[in-house]
Formats: sequence, C-alpha cells, structure tokens
Amino acid sequence: MKALILVGGFGTRLRPLTLSFPKPLVDFANKPMILHQIEALKAVGVDEVVLAINYQPEVMLNFLKDFEAKLEIKITCSQETEPMGTAGPLALARDKLVDGSGDPFFVLNSDVISEYPLKEMIEFHQSHGGEASIMVTKVDEPSKYGVVVMEESTGKVERFVEKPKLYVGNKINAGIYLLNPSVLDKIELRPTSIEKETFPKIAASQGLYAMVLPGFWMDIGQPRDYITGLRLYLDSLRKKFPAKLTTGPHIVGNVLVDESAKIGEGCLIGPDVAIGPGCVVESGVRLSRCTVMRGARIKKHACISSSIIGWHSTVGQWSRIENMTILGEDVHVSDEIYSNGGVVLPHKEIKSNILKPEIVM
Amino acid sequence: MGSSMEEKVVAVIMVGGPTKGTRFRPLSLNIPKPLFPIAGQPMVHHPISACKRIPNLAQIYLVGFYEEREFAIYVSAISNELKVPVRYLREDKPHGSAGGLYHFRNLIMEDSPSHIFLLNCDVCCSFPLPEMLEAHRGYGGIGTLLVIKVSPESASQFGELVADPVTNELLHYTEKPETFVSDRINCGVYIFTPEIFTAIRDVSSQRKDTATLRRVSSFEALQPATRIPADFVRLDQDILTPLAGKKQLYTYETMDFWEQIKSPGMSVRCSGLYLSQFRLTSPQVLASGDGTRNAIVIGDVYIHPSAKVHPTAKIGPNVSISANARVGPGVRLISCIILDDVEIMENAMVTNAIIGWKSSIGRWSRVQAEGVYNSKLGVTILGDSVAVEDEVVVTSSIVLPNKTLNISVQEEIIL
Repeated sequence: MKALILVGGFGTRLRPLTLSFPKPLVDFANKPMILHQIEALKAVGVDEVVLAINYQPEVMLNFLKDFEAKLEIKITCSQETEPMGTAGPLALARDKLVDGSGDPFFVLNSDVISEYPLKEMIEFHQSHGGEASIMVTKVDEPSKYGVVVMEESTGKVERFVEKPKLYVGNKINAGIYLLNPSVLDKIELRPTSIEKETFPKIAASQGLYAMVLPGFWMDIGQPRDYITGLRLYLDSLRKKFPAKLTTGPHIVGNVLVDESAKIGEGCLIGPDVAIGPGCVVESGVRLSRCTVMRGARIKKHACISSSIIGWHSTVGQWSRIENMTILGEDVHVSDEIYSNGGVVLPHKEIKSNILKPEIVM
Repeated sequence: MGSSMEEKVVAVIMVGGPTKGTRFRPLSLNIPKPLFPIAGQPMVHHPISACKRIPNLAQIYLVGFYEEREFAIYVSAISNELKVPVRYLREDKPHGSAGGLYHFRNLIMEDSPSHIFLLNCDVCCSFPLPEMLEAHRGYGGIGTLLVIKVSPESASQFGELVADPVTNELLHYTEKPETFVSDRINCGVYIFTPEIFTAIRDVSSQRKDTATLRRVSSFEALQPATRIPADFVRLDQDILTPLAGKKQLYTYETMDFWEQIKSPGMSVRCSGLYLSQFRLTSPQVLASGDGTRNAIVIGDVYIHPSAKVHPTAKIGPNVSISANARVGPGVRLISCIILDDVEIMENAMVTNAIIGWKSSIGRWSRVQAEGVYNSKLGVTILGDSVAVEDEVVVTSSIVLPNKTLNISVQEEIIL
C-alpha cells in the first residue's frame, strides 16, 4: 500500500520553530511530527510514503533516510513548483501512487495529529465498497470549518458545506483519506481543492463515505493548538500505552520523558509535559503543560508552564517562562528572567524580562 | 572641634502622624510609617543612631501626632540601647514642623542646649551631623540647612534654594516651585540656635495680627480655607523663605546619598542605601554565606538572627529579612524587604517587592516588579497576611492585607 502526506509550504504559523526545521520535522511528543504519521502508516502495511512538499525537500529526505532503513519503508518526495491546493498534489504524484495493484492509498494532512485508526479505516473502506473514504471528526464550532453532511447510519456523504452560517451538522473533514486509484482520474493537473471539487464529484456518484474518527483530533499547525494537541495525545497514550508515560513521586498527570533526558532532585513535572532526548532538567524545576525539545537545559529552580522550549535552548536559574512563550532553536534565557508570552526567534539571548506577549526578533 | 564642654545639643525628629504618610499605604495601615523597617531597622532608627555621633548630645525628642502607645516600646528600647534619653512628644494636632518645634520649646530648652538639630524622619541620608554642627558654628547664623545637588528635572519636587558659593549663606528659598530656580534642594535636616524660637514666634504673632485685621476689614475673612491657624508654622514657606538673604541662614552641602521615603517603593531603594552604608560603618550586621552552611549571599543583605534561611537559597543584593521569617529551599530574593513572620516556600522568587507581615509565598511563585522605585507600581507591595498560592506570578501590583491570590496578576491594585 502507498500513502501521500500533504506537507505543503513554509509552516509560517508554527514559527519560530519552523525557521529551524521544516514543519514535519518539528518535534511533537519527542519525535518529528511526520514520524507519527509514517509509523502509523507502516503499522497497517504501507510500504511507500510520498511527501508532497514545496519547500526544502533535500532537508526532509536527508533527515528521513535513517528512518527509511529503520522502519523499512520507502520515502520519496513529490515536489510542487507552484502551490497545487489540496488535490493538485495527488495528480502530481499520480505515477508514484499508481502501481497497478488497484489497492487504495492513504492521503494524510501533515498538520493533523490523532490516534490514526487506519486499520479501522481500511475495514470501513472495504465494507462500503465506494471509491473514497474520509475521516470526519466532531467539533464544537462547525461554522469555522468545512462541514461534511452525511447519512448517519451508512456514512454516505451527501455534500460539503464550507463554513456554514446555519447548522447543518458537526462533523468536519479530519484530513485523513483512503482513496481508490480511480479517484486520480477525477483530478486534473492544476491547482485544485479536494474538498470543493474532487469530493463533491465523488459524492454525487454515491462513492464517498465518511467514518467518524474515534479518539482525539487536533490540527497542531500553530503553537496554542500544539500545546493542546500534546495534552490530547498524552491522554490517549495514557489509555492505550500507559507504560510509555513516566511515573514517580515528582510526576503529576501525563508526562513523557525521553530515556536519555536527565531530571534532578526536587522537581515537579506535569501535567502534559514532553521532555525530549538529551535534555537536562536540573533540581527544583517546575514544568507543566510544556514541551522541552531535544538538547535543551532547564537550570535550577526555573518554572515553565504553557510554553515550548526549542532545541538546544537553555532556561536560566529561577527563570519563569509562561503563557505561550515559544523559544526557537538555541535560545538562551539568562538567570531570573520572566517571560510572559515571549516568542523568540532562534539563536537569541534573553537578558531582560518580557512582561507582555511580544516577538523578540 | 572647638566645642566647649558645657554646650549641650538636643535633637528633634519630626515623625508626623497617622493622617500624614497616606502614600505609604498599605504598609502604614499596620504600623506607623516611622517604625517601618528599612535595612532591618525602624525608619526612625537611622536618624536616631546618627544623632549618637553628635558631641554632648543631651536628649532626643520625637515629635508627632501618633498615639503615645505606638512609640512607647520603641522609645524605651532605643533609649537603653543608645544610652541617650529618647522621648516621644505628642502634638494634639499638626502644627507644621516649625510650629511643632515651637509648641514644645519649654521642654526642648529644659537643658539649655546651645544647638538644636531638627530632622525629618522620612529622610534617608548619611546624616553628617557633627560636620554640620562645626560648619554652623563657623557661619555664626541662627540656622544651617543640609542641602544636596540633584538633577534639574527632579528639583521641583523639593524646596529649591540658592546659596552664596563663597559664604554658603542661604540667599533664596522657594518650596516646590513651578519653574526652575536651582538644582540645590533642602534635605530636611537642620541645625538651629535657640534664636529660632524667636523667629517662629514672630511669624505666629504676625499671623494673629493679620487675622484680626482681616476679621474687621476684609471679605477674605469669610473664606476659612485661606486662613492658617496662628500656631501652624511651616519651616519652609514661613521661616526659610523670609529669612533667606538676611545673613541668618546658611547651607551645608552633602556629597553623599540622599532620598526621601515617601512611598513604599522608595523604602526598598533606601533600604539598599542604608545597607551599603552599613558595609562601611558596621559590616558585622550584614549577612554572609556561600551556600555551604548558610545561603549564598550576594552584596549587602540583612537577615534578622531569628529568621531561618535555607542553605540552598540565594539572597541579595539589597535584601532585608525581618524577625521569624522563613525562607525555604531554592528560594531567590533580590532587592526586597521581607517583613516579620513571612514564609517563602521552595523555589519561589521575589524581586523588587515588599512582602508584608505573616504573608506566605507558595512554591515556584514569583513576586516581582521593574524596580522603578518612585513610580506607583514600580515595586510590588503585599500587605499584611497576604497568601500567594503555588506557581502564581504577581507583577507590579499592590495587594491590600488579608487577600489570597490564586491566579497571576499584573499591574493591579487589589483591594
């Protein structure tokens, strides 16, 4: 089986992290976002993943080489020279996706994090016999999204309504598809939208079915949602693989600590914290609702909440980092500094307090 | 020094009263402002201990309109400590600083002193009193004022004055002028000969005459707001301004530090100034430590002997910690005053703040401000018995007594 991951562009919404790495390589719960997807695909028998990308494909491929071998999966790129919308990349990668087996292929949006119930999706696809399956997820405020109107019992999709003013349903497109190769015949090689053009066509011919995504779903394309997404992800780990979470007297709630990270005495960690490989958390540190990425050091008595600490950054003694502070790669916060919502670009030193949310260039 | 053995000197320290010093709230809700600890000692202690350096000092009077009992314990303790009689004289009502002095003239003159020092309690300086006395003797006037040069921008908040650069005579004096007069200001520290009482009496009786005149002749007499009671005599407008340029008043300029302690924020700055003076005059009162048996101490720090500070804490510069305070493991204190019975729990940080009596600061909490001492929220002030819960951040705020903070606040006054 094959799969296409829609990676897209610069990932500007996740800056300053994406100034250092392409978005799919930004760590989420201690591994690059895209690995969550690749591992899930590998687990259901996908043997080749095509990345639809229009920015830095070399960086991606270089990085993913190791994982190709480790996961025994082939990873290739399909580079867009101009933005192709959400369906255009499928047409562009057509030759890589069609291998003559007639098997359906997956399409995943790289911004989305979920439990990836792909096995269930394959079963669903086989059961309805239609041309295409999409995952939908229930949201509280459907008017912000494209709503999928479907027949509740069978899942047969009737239509798509973009940002409805009146309530038509609360299920939205979750960005995970399983498509028969024949779908590619319906997509022209031009910038085009899968929700507005391709799916309505398939729905009209009674071939599109939607499955309600079990478990959580989050678009983690921006920092606030990234932090919420981590909470949902760790909740889900707690239910499915509790052994992966850290336990101990200094741990509160769901905490994921890489085995190579070191944690000092008298710390209080959690809830909803991820501490990446090679991190050092010195004694007396308090961490909650935050991500500490690979190689970062948190010095004694510091306190971090609702923030992201980028790769190889350091946070000084008695510093306080909170309220959606995002430290880019290699940022160094001096001792005793307070940051309330500072967004700091890579390779900066912070020597004075940031009292109100602001961007430090 | 040229002082004869018979000449006695007395000192009068004006301490004000409860209706004064409202700018010192919420701290003055609990304690008379003159007793608020600066560098670990009551504010009034600093001028009092400076008086101790005056040769032939016979008596120290504190003059104010607080209740006697508020000063009773302090006055008896300090008299014993300094071996100089210290007495609190309560005014029945505010008389102004010259009027207050005059009101108690019989008591003050009891020992027939040759010189009378008059000090404002809320002044923070090195009080070069023996030097002033010697200069004053040389000038031969009835009074000498301590003056300091300040920036032209800040001068207008004080009494501005012009002195003769050669003779040091006071040539011109004006209180808080609207336009720039001079960058030399009145420090609120004076030395007088007993002739000052005659000068004050003249102002007082002149005023009585004017009042009588007005009563019989003028429409203005119907406006009570413009009438100042005859026994209310201000030193600055009523004495210094009219006597300037008459070869009666002289100036002594200090090159040392000087500040006025009007607001709680300024008390943090003044605490630092006195602590750095202790470094020179009495280094044994300052704390030290390197993190082995005692906490790491940076710069000038005062820790009361009854306070408990964990060895993993890091304290200073400019910190004073009062009696029975408990400072937990991994705590960081910078530029702050920690009052009696405060508890600061592990890994908390306090900077540019005053933590009121019996308050508690939770684990990983942070109480902070920018340290702009003379601005309203430049220092965070927690009143008596305020509880800051774990991990809460209190920034540039004033919290009145008996409040519990369970969420972070910034730039707020919490009633």
